[in-house]
Amino acid sequence: MLEVLIFATLNGLVTGFLLFMLASGLTLIFSMMGVLNFAHASFYMLGAYFAYSLSLYFGFWTGLIFAPLIVGALGALVERYGLRKVHASGHVAELVFTFGLAFLIEESIQFFWGRDTKNYQTPDLLDFPLFTLFGQEFSAYRGFMMAISIGIFIALYYVLTKSRVGIIIQAAITHPQTVSNLGHNVPLIFMGVFGVGTALAGLAGVIAGPVLTTFPGMATVLGSIVFVIVIIGGLGSLAGAFIASLLIGLLQSYAIASDVGMPDLLNLLGISFDRSHPLNDLWTMNLPQIAPVLPYLLLVLVLIFRPTGLLGKREE
Amino acid sequence: MALLKKSSIWIAFLVALLGLPLLFDSILAISILNQMAIGIVFALSYNMLLGQGGMLSFGHAVYFGLGGFLSVHALMLIEYETMVFSILWIPLIGGLFGLLAGIFIGSFSTRKAGTVFAMISLGIGELIAASSLIFSSFFGGEAGISGDRTFGPTFFGFDFAQNIEIYYVAAVWAFIATLFTWLFTQTPAGRMANAVRDNPERAEFIGYSSRKVRFISFCASGMFAGIAGGLFALNYEFITEENLNAATSGRVLLMAYIGGLGYFIGPIIGAVVLTLMNSLLSNYSELWMLYLGIMFLLTVMFLPRGFAGFIMMHQVAWVRGNMKMLIKPYIITGIPALLFTACAIVLIEMSHTDDEVFHYLGLALNPASPITWIVILAIAGGAFYATKRSLIQLNDAWETANAIPKEEEA
Amino acid sequence: MAILSLIDVKKSFGITEIIRGVSLDIVEGEKHAIIGPNGAGKSTLFHLISGRYNVSAGSIHFKEQQIENKPPYEIARMGLARSFQVTNIFQRMSVFENIRCALFWSKGYGYSFWHLLGKQTELNDEAMHVLEQIGLADRAKFPSGELAYAELRALELGVAIASGSELIMLDEPVAGMSHSEAQNAVELIRKITEGKTLIMVEHDMNIVFDVADRISVLVYGEIIATDEPKNIRANSKVQEAYLGEVPSA
Repeated sequence: MLEVLIFATLNGLVTGFLLFMLASGLTLIFSMMGVLNFAHASFYMLGAYFAYSLSLYFGFWTGLIFAPLIVGALGALVERYGLRKVHASGHVAELVFTFGLAFLIEESIQFFWGRDTKNYQTPDLLDFPLFTLFGQEFSAYRGFMMAISIGIFIALYYVLTKSRVGIIIQAAITHPQTVSNLGHNVPLIFMGVFGVGTALAGLAGVIAGPVLTTFPGMATVLGSIVFVIVIIGGLGSLAGAFIASLLIGLLQSYAIASDVGMPDLLNLLGISFDRSHPLNDLWTMNLPQIAPVLPYLLLVLVLIFRPTGLLGKREE
Repeated sequence: MALLKKSSIWIAFLVALLGLPLLFDSILAISILNQMAIGIVFALSYNMLLGQGGMLSFGHAVYFGLGGFLSVHALMLIEYETMVFSILWIPLIGGLFGLLAGIFIGSFSTRKAGTVFAMISLGIGELIAASSLIFSSFFGGEAGISGDRTFGPTFFGFDFAQNIEIYYVAAVWAFIATLFTWLFTQTPAGRMANAVRDNPERAEFIGYSSRKVRFISFCASGMFAGIAGGLFALNYEFITEENLNAATSGRVLLMAYIGGLGYFIGPIIGAVVLTLMNSLLSNYSELWMLYLGIMFLLTVMFLPRGFAGFIMMHQVAWVRGNMKMLIKPYIITGIPALLFTACAIVLIEMSHTDDEVFHYLGLALNPASPITWIVILAIAGGAFYATKRSLIQLNDAWETANAIPKEEEA
Repeated sequence: MAILSLIDVKKSFGITEIIRGVSLDIVEGEKHAIIGPNGAGKSTLFHLISGRYNVSAGSIHFKEQQIENKPPYEIARMGLARSFQVTNIFQRMSVFENIRCALFWSKGYGYSFWHLLGKQTELNDEAMHVLEQIGLADRAKFPSGELAYAELRALELGVAIASGSELIMLDEPVAGMSHSEAQNAVELIRKITEGKTLIMVEHDMNIVFDVADRISVLVYGEIIATDEPKNIRANSKVQEAYLGEVPSA
């Protein structure tokens, strides 16, 4: 029991920190530009694919460095030549644009790389168990993922609180109106934030690709979850996004690791239904089965009872 | 007389709906027409939300899918003679459950429009799509559920075994749904939906709760989506989880947006164009989804009001009798633009083919030879440059055609 | 007879108190102006009365009913209409549709989805009548978002008064207008508020002294004087607050 709990916690934290790499970029972009970037997870997917291609020729470590840079540059271009043009048509048009972009990126990936799953491997250097606990191994690569994610978290925290650019961004988050008063470099800051945000997503893709498999649906799998996180955390709140990332990561990990379900609950209550009961599906449901649903359930509940999210202040 | 004039467009629409299978009577054509009828109703219901009511939904397939699932269950009930009624009423069942789902979900999701609404719709969409896989006795798991439409009382001897028979049922339902969605826009609730879309705050100061106005549109929209789902169930006789998940929600957004939000006819155009692309283009190229994505992004960027908006842009020039001034400039820009598109397509297709000889527009190209690539790239470059240059004269012509005539200014 | 009374109304945002205990009675049929320096809380006071903000303390009575913290639509239905300082209309609808929407509730249509608007002759005539009153009859089919500034302000006024509310609140109705436009607007306001109660926030003192029967002076969230125009002019506290801004003529 204890080993299940420990490993579920560790895996939950790995997922949680990974999710935060995506959620932080999404939150920054939203805070600055008021755009919820639907295509954010698509940049994550691009990161994985670029890194995969680079790793074929130059190895994993080159991919780790260059893939996020390429993704960030792409993101900046998208902001400069796409999003900025659509901005005039309003927020709905922007949201729809990023939605279309997600669609297009998925199609493009299938065009360039095909529909099949890519054999993107963890590097040999990290192919050993970091430690063994109760006979179960925790791979070094997962440790590495966690280290990178935490490193990014610290770097982001440092940049945002200590650097000049960070302070401008902070000001823009809390007082969005003042962004327009900051002077002529605002479009550049927008482009930069979009570029950095997408690069972070790309980096998440690079390190997640070998573990979560690199295939054209990987953006869809994670995309909605990241959306759920930034909303549960509160739109525009980095701290909220952090808490929500860990919360969702752990929640899913525990749900999958657990083996309890409705039958256990019914036993506890001393109720039983026979198999022909019309709600048989409900009475036989177990927690691992509904794990994928939990984030959305949480989202809907949060939006109904606390539309600003956990730490959000702004409603729109 | 006035009534005849007013209803002439509706009569024309009905005649077109009923007459199309006479012109296009192949099996493929009938299947496309069926999809169009379903798409029109679904896209119109979506436009009620986004175009008329300002609510961006990423989960509209929920109402379509639930309507469809209930309709297939109703077909099963007819089959097992638990209930006896003509399958003509199946879309009504879909509509009823779409409405019920709309009432339930709308009761908490319409509190706000904008991003919050969009996110709730996304969350609910994912929630229901994921749940449908869990409750497999009702939703049939990944395989879905199926029924048979040929049971139940016949209608003047028709047992609806043929697709063409179902098309006439779908056409009549599509007509009714279109008429009622249009009539809705002509009521106080429909107009207030526009007002709340434009300015929810001010609507409250003229006596209306924005939330309740949204709620009414939301329920109506859910009902029409459910009707579309019912038509889907009748046409295909099966339904799966895919019909209520995010992909279907995305497709209806694409239809309405490409057609043109805010114009009543927009979603109809969108449904027709997308269905045609889906059915015809997919025969020619497996990359049609890529083209669809590119087209969608270009529409959002350059035609924010969609195809319908593009047509309506010419209203002023038309009224002033200046359309002929635009014909020549359009041709001058259009030819290189088409050439560029053709080149782009051949480049994309060639890079994706394994054939030794690539046939395209009557040409036999060799994808392995660099010369082919260089020539096409050169033509594409030239065509792009020519298009860009000719835009200047098109712009000028546009300005003159839309300029206010001298006497009107005075 | 007070149609509207405010009793010790307070409003704070966080720790900042914007309205610091306002008590005020508006007599039925009077034209009441609220003046005061920038940031005195005039617009906030309007928002509190019309239901856009909730009060922090105190109570507001309209036609003897408590209205504080009620949603705006309930207050509007009771017969209290208002305009906005920054034009606030339904910009993608036509001028005519803007006015017609403003008429729906008072004409009893509610949330109806069974009345066809084309057939509602009385409603449509009434909307045209309002358009004639505000001088926009020839703009009826024009997209309201594309109107000129003075026309927009006239439409803003039209949306506020269309429903025939007994109490009309206008927030800087002539702000940003040229002298002649402002004169026209004042004539219009006079005409359409005849026999009704008017509360108005305005910076142009000539207009205030021209239109108002009584004036309240709001300074830092408190009303320092409420009186007839000639007494306000003579009031030393007002003089002090305005530092000679009150015209001597």
